Amino acid sequence: MLQTIIQNIIRFIVLVLVQVLVLNHIQFLGFINPYIYILFILSLPVKTDRWIILLLSFALGITVDSFADTLGLHAFACVLTGFLRDPLIKLLSATEENPGATPSFTTFGASMYVKYVVMLTLVHHMTIFFFDAFSFTNFTGTLFRAVASTAISTLFILGIQLLKKH
Amino acid sequence: MRKLLIFLTRYSIVGLFLLLEIVSFALFVGNERYPKSVFFSSGNAVISGLYSISSHVTDFFKLRSNNQELCEENARLKNRITLLENRLALEQAGLADTTRFVNPEKETTFVSARIIHNTTNRMRNYITLNRGASDGIRPDMGVVGPQGVVGIVRSTSERFSTVISLLNPIMQVNCKIKRNNYNGLLRWNGKDYRYAQLTDIPRHVSLYIGDTIVTSGLTTTFPEGIPVGVIENFMLNEGDAFYSIQVKLATDFRSISNVNIINYKNRDEQRMLENLNESDETR
Repeated sequence: MLQTIIQNIIRFIVLVLVQVLVLNHIQFLGFINPYIYILFILSLPVKTDRWIILLLSFALGITVDSFADTLGLHAFACVLTGFLRDPLIKLLSATEENPGATPSFTTFGASMYVKYVVMLTLVHHMTIFFFDAFSFTNFTGTLFRAVASTAISTLFILGIQLLKKH
Repeated sequence: MRKLLIFLTRYSIVGLFLLLEIVSFALFVGNERYPKSVFFSSGNAVISGLYSISSHVTDFFKLRSNNQELCEENARLKNRITLLENRLALEQAGLADTTRFVNPEKETTFVSARIIHNTTNRMRNYITLNRGASDGIRPDMGVVGPQGVVGIVRSTSERFSTVISLLNPIMQVNCKIKRNNYNGLLRWNGKDYRYAQLTDIPRHVSLYIGDTIVTSGLTTTFPEGIPVGVIENFMLNEGDAFYSIQVKLATDFRSISNVNIINYKNRDEQRMLENLNESDETR
Protein backbone atom coordinates (compact mmCIF):
# COMPACT_ATOMS: atom_id res chain seq x y z
CA MET A 1 0.00 0.00 0.00
CA LEU A 2 2.65 2.47 1.14
CA GLN A 3 4.86 1.36 -1.73
CA THR A 4 2.05 2.11 -4.20
CA ILE A 5 1.58 5.60 -2.76
CA ILE A 6 5.28 6.46 -2.92
CA GLN A 7 5.48 5.03 -6.43
CA ASN A 8 2.59 7.26 -7.52
CA ILE A 9 4.04 10.37 -5.89
CA ILE A 10 7.33 9.81 -7.73
CA ARG A 11 5.44 9.18 -10.96
CA PHE A 12 3.51 12.44 -10.47
CA ILE A 13 6.66 14.50 -9.96
CA VAL A 14 8.66 12.89 -12.77
CA LEU A 15 5.85 13.14 -15.31
CA VAL A 16 5.10 16.79 -14.47
CA LEU A 17 8.77 17.75 -14.70
CA VAL A 18 9.27 15.91 -18.00
CA GLN A 19 6.11 17.53 -19.34
CA VAL A 20 6.78 21.14 -18.38
CA LEU A 21 10.55 21.28 -18.75
CA VAL A 22 10.97 19.18 -21.89
CA LEU A 23 7.81 18.33 -23.79
CA ASN A 24 6.10 21.73 -23.49
CA HIS A 25 9.03 23.15 -25.45
CA ILE A 26 8.93 20.51 -28.17
CA GLN A 27 6.62 21.02 -31.10
CA PHE A 28 6.81 18.40 -33.81
CA LEU A 29 6.24 19.94 -37.24
CA GLY A 30 5.42 23.21 -35.54
CA PHE A 31 2.07 22.38 -33.99
CA ILE A 32 2.04 18.91 -32.42
CA ASN A 33 2.49 19.17 -28.69
CA PRO A 34 2.53 15.81 -26.86
CA TYR A 35 1.03 15.65 -23.38
CA ILE A 36 2.26 12.49 -21.65
CA TYR A 37 1.63 13.55 -18.05
CA ILE A 38 -1.85 11.98 -18.15
CA LEU A 39 -0.02 8.64 -17.86
CA PHE A 40 -0.29 9.40 -14.13
CA ILE A 41 -4.09 9.25 -14.26
CA LEU A 42 -3.98 6.23 -16.55
CA SER A 43 -1.66 4.36 -14.17
CA LEU A 44 -3.52 4.81 -10.88
CA PRO A 45 -4.46 1.39 -9.41
CA VAL A 46 -7.75 0.05 -10.74
CA LYS A 47 -9.36 -0.12 -7.31
CA THR A 48 -8.63 3.53 -6.42
CA ASP A 49 -11.73 5.33 -5.10
CA ARG A 50 -13.24 7.51 -7.76
CA TRP A 51 -13.24 10.67 -5.66
CA ILE A 52 -9.50 10.22 -5.07
CA ILE A 53 -8.97 9.87 -8.83
CA LEU A 54 -10.96 13.07 -9.43
CA LEU A 55 -9.05 15.09 -6.81
CA LEU A 56 -5.67 13.78 -8.01
CA SER A 57 -6.60 14.58 -11.62
CA PHE A 58 -7.52 18.09 -10.59
CA ALA A 59 -4.25 18.53 -8.67
CA LEU A 60 -2.26 17.21 -11.63
CA GLY A 61 -4.05 19.57 -14.03
CA ILE A 62 -3.57 22.61 -11.82
CA THR A 63 0.14 21.82 -11.41
CA VAL A 64 0.71 21.60 -15.16
CA ASP A 65 -1.45 24.71 -15.63
CA SER A 66 0.68 26.70 -13.21
CA PHE A 67 3.76 25.95 -15.28
CA ALA A 68 2.13 26.64 -18.62
CA ASP A 69 0.23 29.77 -17.49
CA THR A 70 -3.06 28.25 -18.62
CA LEU A 71 -4.91 28.16 -15.29
CA GLY A 72 -7.94 25.85 -15.56
CA LEU A 73 -7.30 24.41 -19.02
CA HIS A 74 -5.41 21.23 -18.10
CA ALA A 75 -7.38 20.90 -14.86
CA PHE A 76 -10.63 20.74 -16.82
CA ALA A 77 -9.33 18.14 -19.26
CA CYS A 78 -7.72 16.05 -16.50
CA VAL A 79 -10.85 15.93 -14.35
CA LEU A 80 -12.87 14.83 -17.37
CA THR A 81 -10.28 12.15 -18.18
CA GLY A 82 -10.24 10.97 -14.55
CA PHE A 83 -14.03 10.82 -14.49
CA LEU A 84 -14.27 8.73 -17.67
CA ARG A 85 -11.47 6.37 -16.62
CA ASP A 86 -13.45 3.90 -14.52
CA PRO A 87 -16.49 3.60 -16.81
CA LEU A 88 -14.08 2.95 -19.69
CA ILE A 89 -12.27 0.20 -17.76
CA LYS A 90 -15.65 -1.40 -16.96
CA LEU A 91 -16.68 -1.12 -20.59
CA LEU A 92 -13.47 -2.66 -21.94
CA SER A 93 -12.94 -5.44 -19.43
CA ALA A 94 -15.20 -8.48 -19.54
CA THR A 95 -13.90 -9.98 -16.31
CA GLU A 96 -13.26 -8.38 -12.94
CA GLU A 97 -9.71 -7.11 -12.44
CA ASN A 98 -7.75 -8.30 -9.47
CA PRO A 99 -7.76 -5.57 -6.81
CA GLY A 100 -4.84 -3.17 -6.67
CA ALA A 101 -3.65 -4.00 -10.17
CA THR A 102 -2.08 -1.10 -12.02
CA PRO A 103 -3.22 -0.71 -15.64
CA SER A 104 -0.43 -1.87 -17.97
CA PHE A 105 0.20 -4.20 -20.89
CA THR A 106 0.53 -7.21 -18.61
CA THR A 107 -2.55 -6.68 -16.45
CA PHE A 108 -4.89 -5.45 -19.19
CA GLY A 109 -3.54 -7.34 -22.18
CA ALA A 110 -2.04 -5.54 -25.13
CA SER A 111 -5.16 -4.83 -27.21
CA MET A 112 -7.28 -3.63 -24.30
CA TYR A 113 -4.48 -1.47 -22.92
CA VAL A 114 -3.89 0.19 -26.29
CA LYS A 115 -7.62 0.91 -26.63
CA TYR A 116 -7.71 2.28 -23.08
CA VAL A 117 -4.75 4.63 -23.65
CA VAL A 118 -5.92 5.82 -27.08
CA MET A 119 -9.47 6.63 -25.94
CA LEU A 120 -8.54 8.52 -22.77
CA THR A 121 -5.72 10.39 -24.52
CA LEU A 122 -8.13 11.37 -27.29
CA VAL A 123 -10.69 12.67 -24.77
CA HIS A 124 -7.99 14.66 -22.95
CA HIS A 125 -6.45 16.16 -26.11
CA MET A 126 -9.78 17.02 -27.72
CA THR A 127 -10.79 18.88 -24.56
CA ILE A 128 -7.47 20.72 -24.37
CA PHE A 129 -7.35 21.83 -27.99
CA PHE A 130 -10.99 22.86 -28.34
CA PHE A 131 -11.06 24.51 -24.94
CA ASP A 132 -7.87 26.37 -25.76
CA ALA A 133 -9.23 27.62 -29.09
CA PHE A 134 -12.50 28.37 -27.23
CA SER A 135 -14.55 28.28 -30.41
CA PHE A 136 -15.43 26.03 -33.30
CA THR A 137 -14.05 28.40 -35.91
CA ASN A 138 -11.31 26.66 -37.84
CA PHE A 139 -12.90 23.40 -36.64
CA THR A 140 -10.96 21.10 -38.96
CA GLY A 141 -7.67 22.76 -38.10
CA THR A 142 -8.17 22.26 -34.37
CA LEU A 143 -9.44 18.72 -34.92
CA PHE A 144 -6.36 17.88 -36.97
CA ARG A 145 -4.04 19.27 -34.31
CA ALA A 146 -5.85 17.33 -31.59
CA VAL A 147 -5.80 14.03 -33.47
CA ALA A 148 -2.17 14.40 -34.57
CA SER A 149 -1.08 15.25 -31.02
CA THR A 150 -3.09 12.31 -29.68
CA ALA A 151 -1.24 9.97 -32.04
CA ILE A 152 2.17 11.26 -30.90
CA SER A 153 1.24 11.25 -27.19
CA THR A 154 -0.12 7.71 -27.44
CA LEU A 155 3.11 6.54 -29.08
CA PHE A 156 5.10 8.17 -26.27
CA ILE A 157 2.94 6.64 -23.52
CA LEU A 158 2.90 3.15 -25.03
CA GLY A 159 6.64 3.43 -25.65
CA ILE A 160 7.30 4.30 -22.00
CA GLN A 161 5.14 1.40 -20.84
CA LEU A 162 6.88 -1.04 -23.20
CA LEU A 163 10.30 0.07 -21.90
CA LYS A 164 9.11 -0.44 -18.32
CA LYS A 165 7.88 -3.92 -19.17
CA HIS A 166 11.34 -5.10 -20.21
CA MET B 1 -32.07 6.71 5.53
CA ARG B 2 -30.38 3.80 3.79
CA LYS B 3 -31.83 4.90 0.49
CA LEU B 4 -30.53 8.40 1.06
CA LEU B 5 -27.03 7.03 1.72
CA ILE B 6 -27.15 4.95 -1.43
CA PHE B 7 -28.35 7.98 -3.35
CA LEU B 8 -25.55 10.13 -1.94
CA THR B 9 -22.79 7.61 -2.66
CA ARG B 10 -24.05 7.11 -6.18
CA TYR B 11 -24.28 10.78 -7.08
CA SER B 12 -21.54 12.29 -4.91
CA ILE B 13 -18.94 11.29 -7.54
CA VAL B 14 -20.90 13.03 -10.28
CA GLY B 15 -21.33 16.02 -7.94
CA LEU B 16 -17.60 16.19 -7.20
CA PHE B 17 -16.87 15.84 -10.91
CA LEU B 18 -19.20 18.71 -11.79
CA LEU B 19 -17.82 20.87 -8.97
CA LEU B 20 -14.21 20.40 -10.10
CA GLU B 21 -15.15 21.05 -13.74
CA ILE B 22 -16.97 24.26 -12.79
CA VAL B 23 -14.00 25.42 -10.73
CA SER B 24 -11.61 24.71 -13.64
CA PHE B 25 -13.88 26.43 -16.09
CA ALA B 26 -14.26 29.50 -13.88
CA LEU B 27 -10.49 29.67 -13.39
CA PHE B 28 -9.90 29.39 -17.13
CA VAL B 29 -12.48 32.00 -18.13
CA GLY B 30 -11.64 34.39 -15.29
CA ASN B 31 -7.97 34.05 -16.05
CA GLU B 32 -8.35 35.49 -19.52
CA ARG B 33 -9.97 38.67 -18.34
CA TYR B 34 -8.38 39.61 -15.03
CA PRO B 35 -4.75 39.60 -13.94
CA LYS B 36 -3.97 36.11 -12.74
CA SER B 37 -2.93 35.33 -9.21
CA VAL B 38 0.81 35.10 -9.07
CA PHE B 39 0.71 31.85 -7.10
CA PHE B 40 -0.73 29.69 -9.88
CA SER B 41 1.36 31.14 -12.69
CA SER B 42 4.93 31.06 -13.87
CA GLY B 43 5.55 34.12 -11.67
CA ASN B 44 5.47 31.76 -8.67
CA ALA B 45 8.92 31.50 -7.03
CA VAL B 46 9.18 27.70 -7.22
CA ILE B 47 8.04 27.51 -10.82
CA SER B 48 10.11 30.42 -12.07
CA GLY B 49 13.09 29.00 -10.15
CA LEU B 50 12.71 25.72 -12.01
CA TYR B 51 12.37 27.54 -15.31
CA SER B 52 15.50 29.57 -14.49
CA ILE B 53 17.50 26.39 -14.00
CA SER B 54 16.22 24.77 -17.17
CA SER B 55 16.85 27.88 -19.23
CA HIS B 56 20.43 28.00 -17.92
CA VAL B 57 20.91 24.66 -19.63
CA THR B 58 19.07 25.42 -22.86
CA ASP B 59 20.65 28.87 -23.16
CA PHE B 60 24.01 27.20 -23.53
CA PHE B 61 22.95 25.74 -26.86
CA LYS B 62 21.76 29.08 -28.18
CA LEU B 63 24.94 30.99 -27.31
CA ARG B 64 26.32 31.17 -30.81
CA SER B 65 23.23 32.60 -32.49
CA ASN B 66 22.60 34.92 -29.55
CA ASN B 67 26.10 36.29 -29.84
CA GLN B 68 25.50 36.90 -33.50
CA GLU B 69 22.27 38.76 -32.76
CA LEU B 70 23.85 40.86 -30.02
CA CYS B 71 26.76 41.79 -32.24
CA GLU B 72 24.39 42.90 -34.97
CA GLU B 73 22.37 44.94 -32.52
CA ASN B 74 25.55 46.49 -31.11
CA ALA B 75 26.57 47.54 -34.55
CA ARG B 76 23.20 49.11 -35.27
CA LEU B 77 23.24 50.97 -31.97
CA LYS B 78 26.75 52.28 -32.54
CA ASN B 79 25.68 53.58 -35.91
CA ARG B 80 22.78 55.36 -34.31
CA ILE B 81 24.97 56.86 -31.61
CA THR B 82 27.30 58.42 -34.12
CA LEU B 83 24.36 59.69 -36.16
CA LEU B 84 22.73 61.26 -33.10
CA GLU B 85 25.99 62.73 -31.83
CA ASN B 86 26.47 64.42 -35.15
CA ARG B 87 22.95 65.80 -35.14
CA LEU B 88 23.32 66.98 -31.56
CA ALA B 89 26.54 68.77 -32.35
CA LEU B 90 24.87 70.47 -35.29
CA GLU B 91 21.91 71.57 -33.21
CA GLN B 92 24.00 72.89 -30.35
CA ALA B 93 26.07 74.89 -32.78
CA GLY B 94 23.05 76.36 -34.55
CA LEU B 95 20.48 76.95 -31.81
CA ALA B 96 22.07 78.05 -28.56
CA ASP B 97 18.88 79.25 -26.87
CA THR B 98 16.82 76.04 -26.92
CA THR B 99 15.91 74.92 -23.41
CA ARG B 100 16.10 71.19 -24.05
CA PHE B 101 17.69 69.10 -26.69
CA VAL B 102 15.82 65.83 -26.03
CA ASN B 103 12.16 65.69 -26.93
CA PRO B 104 10.14 64.65 -23.86
CA GLU B 105 8.45 61.73 -25.66
CA LYS B 106 11.86 60.22 -26.43
CA GLU B 107 13.05 59.97 -22.84
CA THR B 108 13.18 56.22 -22.52
CA THR B 109 15.60 53.83 -20.89
CA PHE B 110 16.02 50.14 -21.59
CA VAL B 111 16.26 47.30 -19.07
CA SER B 112 17.72 44.13 -20.52
CA ALA B 113 16.10 40.84 -19.55
CA ARG B 114 16.28 37.17 -20.41
CA ILE B 115 13.30 35.07 -21.47
CA ILE B 116 13.00 32.11 -19.11
CA HIS B 117 9.73 30.74 -20.46
CA ASN B 118 8.03 31.25 -23.79
CA THR B 119 5.30 29.57 -25.82
CA THR B 120 4.39 29.98 -29.49
CA ASN B 121 1.98 27.14 -30.16
CA ARG B 122 -0.94 28.16 -28.00
CA MET B 123 -3.86 30.40 -28.82
CA ARG B 124 -2.81 32.91 -26.14
CA ASN B 125 0.91 32.99 -25.61
CA TYR B 126 2.78 34.44 -22.65
CA ILE B 127 6.45 35.01 -21.89
CA THR B 128 8.19 35.02 -18.49
CA LEU B 129 11.19 37.31 -17.93
CA ASN B 130 13.86 37.25 -15.21
CA ARG B 131 13.32 40.90 -14.27
CA GLY B 132 10.60 42.10 -11.91
CA ALA B 133 9.29 44.92 -9.78
CA SER B 134 12.64 45.28 -7.98
CA ASP B 135 14.26 46.14 -11.32
CA GLY B 136 11.69 48.87 -11.90
CA ILE B 137 9.44 46.83 -14.16
CA ARG B 138 5.75 47.75 -14.04
CA PRO B 139 2.72 46.42 -15.93
CA ASP B 140 2.08 47.96 -19.38
CA MET B 141 5.72 48.50 -20.25
CA GLY B 142 6.71 47.52 -23.79
CA VAL B 143 9.11 44.65 -24.48
CA VAL B 144 11.33 44.61 -27.58
CA GLY B 145 13.85 42.10 -28.87
CA PRO B 146 16.90 42.62 -31.04
CA GLN B 147 14.74 42.38 -34.17
CA GLY B 148 11.57 44.16 -33.07
CA VAL B 149 8.48 44.26 -30.88
CA VAL B 150 7.91 41.26 -28.56
CA GLY B 151 5.05 42.13 -26.18
CA ILE B 152 3.72 44.10 -23.23
CA VAL B 153 4.37 43.42 -19.53
CA ARG B 154 1.25 41.97 -17.93
CA SER B 155 2.09 41.43 -14.28
CA THR B 156 5.21 41.50 -12.15
CA SER B 157 6.40 39.80 -9.00
CA GLU B 158 9.47 40.81 -7.02
CA ARG B 159 12.00 39.27 -9.41
CA PHE B 160 10.01 38.04 -12.40
CA SER B 161 7.48 39.40 -14.81
CA THR B 162 5.06 37.87 -17.28
CA VAL B 163 4.59 39.38 -20.72
CA ILE B 164 1.64 39.20 -23.10
CA SER B 165 3.35 38.01 -26.25
CA LEU B 166 2.61 39.66 -29.57
CA LEU B 167 1.32 36.15 -30.38
CA ASN B 168 -1.79 36.72 -28.29
CA PRO B 169 -5.05 37.97 -29.76
CA ILE B 170 -5.87 40.00 -26.64
CA MET B 171 -2.99 42.31 -27.52
CA GLN B 172 -3.19 45.01 -30.19
CA VAL B 173 -0.26 47.15 -31.22
CA ASN B 174 -0.72 50.54 -32.83
CA CYS B 175 1.53 50.43 -35.88
CA LYS B 176 2.20 52.50 -38.95
CA ILE B 177 3.59 52.01 -42.41
CA LYS B 178 7.03 53.54 -42.31
CA ARG B 179 6.89 54.84 -45.89
CA ASN B 180 3.70 56.95 -45.63
CA ASN B 181 2.89 57.12 -41.88
CA TYR B 182 -0.64 55.65 -42.13
CA ASN B 183 -1.37 53.85 -38.88
CA GLY B 184 -3.45 50.80 -38.06
CA LEU B 185 -3.84 48.05 -35.49
CA LEU B 186 -1.75 44.90 -35.55
CA ARG B 187 -3.24 41.76 -34.06
CA TRP B 188 -2.37 38.06 -34.19
CA ASN B 189 -5.07 35.67 -35.43
CA GLY B 190 -3.77 32.60 -33.61
CA LYS B 191 -2.68 30.63 -36.64
CA ASP B 192 0.99 31.00 -37.60
CA TYR B 193 3.63 32.32 -35.21
CA ARG B 194 5.45 34.03 -38.07
CA TYR B 195 2.57 36.22 -39.27
CA ALA B 196 0.21 38.80 -37.76
CA GLN B 197 -2.56 40.86 -39.33
CA LEU B 198 -2.69 44.63 -39.78
CA THR B 199 -6.12 46.28 -40.01
CA ASP B 200 -7.57 49.79 -40.29
CA ILE B 201 -5.49 50.88 -43.30
CA PRO B 202 -8.03 52.63 -45.60
CA ARG B 203 -8.37 51.54 -49.23
CA HIS B 204 -7.05 54.72 -50.82
CA VAL B 205 -3.57 54.11 -49.40
CA SER B 206 -1.16 52.52 -51.86
CA LEU B 207 0.71 49.55 -50.45
CA TYR B 208 3.63 47.50 -51.64
CA ILE B 209 4.71 44.02 -50.59
CA GLY B 210 7.79 44.49 -48.45
CA ASP B 211 6.71 47.78 -46.87
CA THR B 212 8.14 48.08 -43.36
CA ILE B 213 5.72 48.26 -40.43
CA VAL B 214 6.95 50.09 -37.32
CA THR B 215 5.34 51.17 -34.05
CA SER B 216 3.47 54.46 -34.33
CA GLY B 217 4.43 56.00 -30.99
CA LEU B 218 0.81 57.00 -30.41
CA THR B 219 0.63 54.96 -27.23
CA THR B 220 2.88 55.28 -24.21
CA THR B 221 3.96 51.64 -24.41
CA PHE B 222 6.27 51.77 -27.43
CA PRO B 223 8.23 54.76 -28.73
CA GLU B 224 7.94 55.56 -32.41
CA GLY B 225 9.78 53.57 -35.05
CA ILE B 226 10.46 50.16 -33.49
CA PRO B 227 10.31 47.53 -36.25
CA VAL B 228 7.31 45.19 -36.14
CA GLY B 229 7.53 43.42 -39.49
CA VAL B 230 7.15 43.72 -43.24
CA ILE B 231 4.07 43.31 -45.43
CA GLU B 232 3.99 39.76 -46.78
CA ASN B 233 0.86 40.26 -48.87
CA PHE B 234 -2.40 42.22 -48.73
CA MET B 235 -5.97 41.85 -49.93
CA LEU B 236 -8.72 44.32 -50.75
CA ASN B 237 -12.17 42.87 -51.41
CA GLU B 238 -14.68 44.72 -53.56
CA GLY B 239 -16.81 46.16 -50.75
CA ASP B 240 -14.18 46.63 -48.09
CA ALA B 241 -13.16 50.03 -46.80
CA PHE B 242 -9.98 48.65 -45.25
CA TYR B 243 -7.19 46.37 -46.42
CA SER B 244 -6.55 43.05 -44.77
CA ILE B 245 -2.78 42.85 -44.56
CA GLN B 246 -0.58 39.88 -43.69
CA VAL B 247 2.55 41.04 -41.87
CA LYS B 248 5.65 38.88 -41.50
CA LEU B 249 6.83 39.59 -37.97
CA ALA B 250 10.36 40.87 -37.51
CA THR B 251 10.85 38.87 -34.31
CA ASP B 252 11.31 35.11 -34.56
CA PHE B 253 9.42 34.03 -31.44
CA ARG B 254 10.87 30.52 -31.58
CA SER B 255 14.49 31.55 -31.18
CA ILE B 256 14.33 34.79 -29.20
CA SER B 257 15.93 34.75 -25.75
CA ASN B 258 17.22 38.25 -24.91
CA VAL B 259 14.90 41.25 -24.76
CA ASN B 260 14.80 44.85 -23.57
CA ILE B 261 12.01 46.31 -21.48
CA ILE B 262 11.19 49.91 -22.36
CA ASN B 263 10.86 52.28 -19.44
CA TYR B 264 9.28 55.52 -20.65
CA LYS B 265 10.17 58.13 -18.06
CA ASN B 266 7.40 60.63 -18.73
CA ARG B 267 4.61 58.08 -18.94
CA ASP B 268 2.85 59.06 -15.72
CA GLU B 269 2.99 62.74 -16.62
CA GLN B 270 1.55 62.08 -20.08
CA ARG B 271 -1.12 59.70 -18.76
CA MET B 272 -2.17 62.19 -16.09
CA LEU B 273 -2.59 64.93 -18.65
CA GLU B 274 -4.53 62.64 -20.96
CA ASN B 275 -6.77 61.43 -18.16
CA LEU B 276 -7.91 65.02 -17.69
CA ASN B 277 -9.50 64.80 -21.15
CA GLU B 278 -11.35 61.64 -20.23
CA SER B 279 -12.73 63.13 -17.04
CA ASP B 280 -13.93 66.07 -19.16
CA GLU B 281 -15.96 63.70 -21.31
CA THR B 282 -17.60 61.97 -18.37
CA ARG B 283 -18.57 65.23 -16.76
